[in-house]
Amino acid sequence: MGTINSAFSLISQALDADQSGLSIVANNVANANTTGYTRETPNWQENQPVDINGVSYGAGVTETGPTSVRDRVLDERLVQQQQLASASGTRLTALNTLQALFTPDSGSSTSSAGDIGSDITTFFDSFSSLEANPSNDALRQQVLSSASILAGDVSNAAASLNSQKAALDQEASGVTSQVNALTGALAQLNQQIQSISPDADAGTLEDQRQQDLSQLSQLIGINQVTTENNGISITTTSGQLLVSEGSSVPLTTGSVGGVTHFFVGNTDVTAQLTNGGGELGGYLTARDQDIPTALASLDQLAYSVSTQVNKLNNAGTDLDGDNGNAGNLFSQPAQVAGSAASMSVVMTNPNHIAAAGAGQGTGDNSNATAMASLANQGIVSGQTPTDFYSNFVTTLGSTVSNVQTENTAQNASVTQLQTQNDALSGVNLDDEASSMTTLERSYQAASQVFTMLNTIIASALNLGEETTVS
Amino acid sequence: MRVDPYFVSNLVGSLDQTQVTEQQLTAELSSGVRVNSLSQDPVASGENVLLLNQIQQDDSFTQSSSLVQGQLQVADSALGSVVSQLTQAISLATSANNGTLNQSDLTSISNQIAGIRDEVTSLANTNYQGQYIFAGGQTATAPFTTSSATTPATTTYNGDEDVNSLQTPNGQTIQLNVPGDQIFTASGANSVFGALNNLVADYAGGATTAVSVSDTEALNTALNYVSQQRVLVDNSLTRLTASTDAVTGEQTQLTAAQSNLMQADLPTISTQLSLAETQQTALEDVIAQMGSASNSLFSKLQ
Repeated sequence: MGTINSAFSLISQALDADQSGLSIVANNVANANTTGYTRETPNWQENQPVDINGVSYGAGVTETGPTSVRDRVLDERLVQQQQLASASGTRLTALNTLQALFTPDSGSSTSSAGDIGSDITTFFDSFSSLEANPSNDALRQQVLSSASILAGDVSNAAASLNSQKAALDQEASGVTSQVNALTGALAQLNQQIQSISPDADAGTLEDQRQQDLSQLSQLIGINQVTTENNGISITTTSGQLLVSEGSSVPLTTGSVGGVTHFFVGNTDVTAQLTNGGGELGGYLTARDQDIPTALASLDQLAYSVSTQVNKLNNAGTDLDGDNGNAGNLFSQPAQVAGSAASMSVVMTNPNHIAAAGAGQGTGDNSNATAMASLANQGIVSGQTPTDFYSNFVTTLGSTVSNVQTENTAQNASVTQLQTQNDALSGVNLDDEASSMTTLERSYQAASQVFTMLNTIIASALNLGEETTVS
Repeated sequence: MRVDPYFVSNLVGSLDQTQVTEQQLTAELSSGVRVNSLSQDPVASGENVLLLNQIQQDDSFTQSSSLVQGQLQVADSALGSVVSQLTQAISLATSANNGTLNQSDLTSISNQIAGIRDEVTSLANTNYQGQYIFAGGQTATAPFTTSSATTPATTTYNGDEDVNSLQTPNGQTIQLNVPGDQIFTASGANSVFGALNNLVADYAGGATTAVSVSDTEALNTALNYVSQQRVLVDNSLTRLTASTDAVTGEQTQLTAAQSNLMQADLPTISTQLSLAETQQTALEDVIAQMGSASNSLFSKLQ
């Protein structure tokens, strides 16, 4: 048989439960703007009923503690998508800097300064002009000055590419220390979570772990594997272990062939990290693929133009009558690699331009014609210099544009996942206001019941008299 | 269904995006250029390189062509003077050949024709901007010298057979010079200097009328030959003018095409800009309303 005393204890338990519910709501509201915070809900549990003489009496309610509302699948997808978006975002920034070196020439005379395409044309045109009057000093000077401008712009572009590459190398190696700090923190969190909460959600600790994972995934590409006792192991996307439950393996750097390489233990993982994702993946893709590709094209252009022009100049007759021995116009590159950076004009005397054909008088222009028509011959990888540059520009532009599209799509997908995640785990103040009202009402009701029980007990104690106890 | 409680901050993201669009459109408006970086339109950027290349080539040809035109005109006028000098020599020779003149008159005519020969020599040694234009490739030295050591005197050509030509952007080849020996010392009866030197010797040395008549005929033939060579120069001039006109026309078209390709379409951009502005205002209003504190349930609780 239930008694008034048992009703008392039951209702005071309810008051406790409501209070702890209210404190969970308060905690949610307090953390509404905390990054990585996952909203918590109170868990209500009906107490074990009491059987008295075969009759079952309810024993009230207990609040068993908060549960974080999270979806691990969603979390993991967000982490994966973030590493892709952050890789393409970083690569895009690098590519935008890269393409700024090759801004399209609008066609006005001021905009053509520094434009390699127009330099190529001007250079070969200067030989066409020389056809008109092969022994004219002004026209010869024009050839040398347009050659200097071409060589200057090509070598400047190459120098900018090289310094950009060095800057990316620095930034990439700077990422390492952040990665190591995060993997260290993750290993510690793993230990704490495993000891405190091996079987269930560890609440704020898990929030913290998720937050670190999210940051780590923006730096490098990772895979995560849930292990026993609520721990996780983290590997790079190619499978090198970074965090194994309670311990972490640091990422180290070393210089190989003048560029920074990355190691896990003794394994060189640079190539894997390049395609792995995260900021590091973006830096490495720009450093090891995009810039070398652009540089190789410039090298090819510089090498072919220098070599062919030098060859023809040495085959003709110059104004001093040097036949077949007029000398080089450009410094002759020994190999394709590095030609762009070292492109320069070595000829100082305009008389040494061999406008005349072999064995011809100095008034002949056949060699100038031959050099001018190099502009229309497939001397650079089977294409004319202008076609080659035009293709280079189109290819570079397409690459940037593709990465841009890719990045936009990935960011949209991250936003979508983030929205889904926030919808589930974020603190909605309206929700909290309504739960608070509910709990408040329930607390008020319980207090009311408590007061009424008090009155009833008072009546019982006074045995009908209204005076002694109130 | 639960919604994302942070949707207002996502709206701020959209607001940022709108402002980026506005900034880009404003940049296009102010520069007047549609493609400010390669990635905006990679194909147009590549095409632009090719178009500008052709435009510059055309421009450069127009300049070369005006240089060359000067040279060809000088050659033409020199050959014109040669023709009138030779005509004068022929009329002198014809008057000498009628058999009525005494030796002293003949000697005087011989001297006059020698003067004409020297005049023709200096015309054949015409230079343009320091370059001898009838010397083939050996433009640094005067191509013709006359030696009176022999009788008749001999005129030697010091140049070569080199013919220069100018390539038009369309790949045509235009001849720029005619080697001097082809005009003045051609083989046989076509040699101008040969005929002149013979006549000078004939009248100075009292040769028979038959010889001088035949030499006069040779001079006549040589004169016709010079006129033929002059036609070559005139042809080059005509072709050059025609090519220049064609190239100028092409350049105009290419420039128009290049402008179409690269220049900003102002009406379109203005429309896009105004749309972006409207969107921005709308977003700002929505954010102001949604973000206000009175929108929260908490504000309704007392």
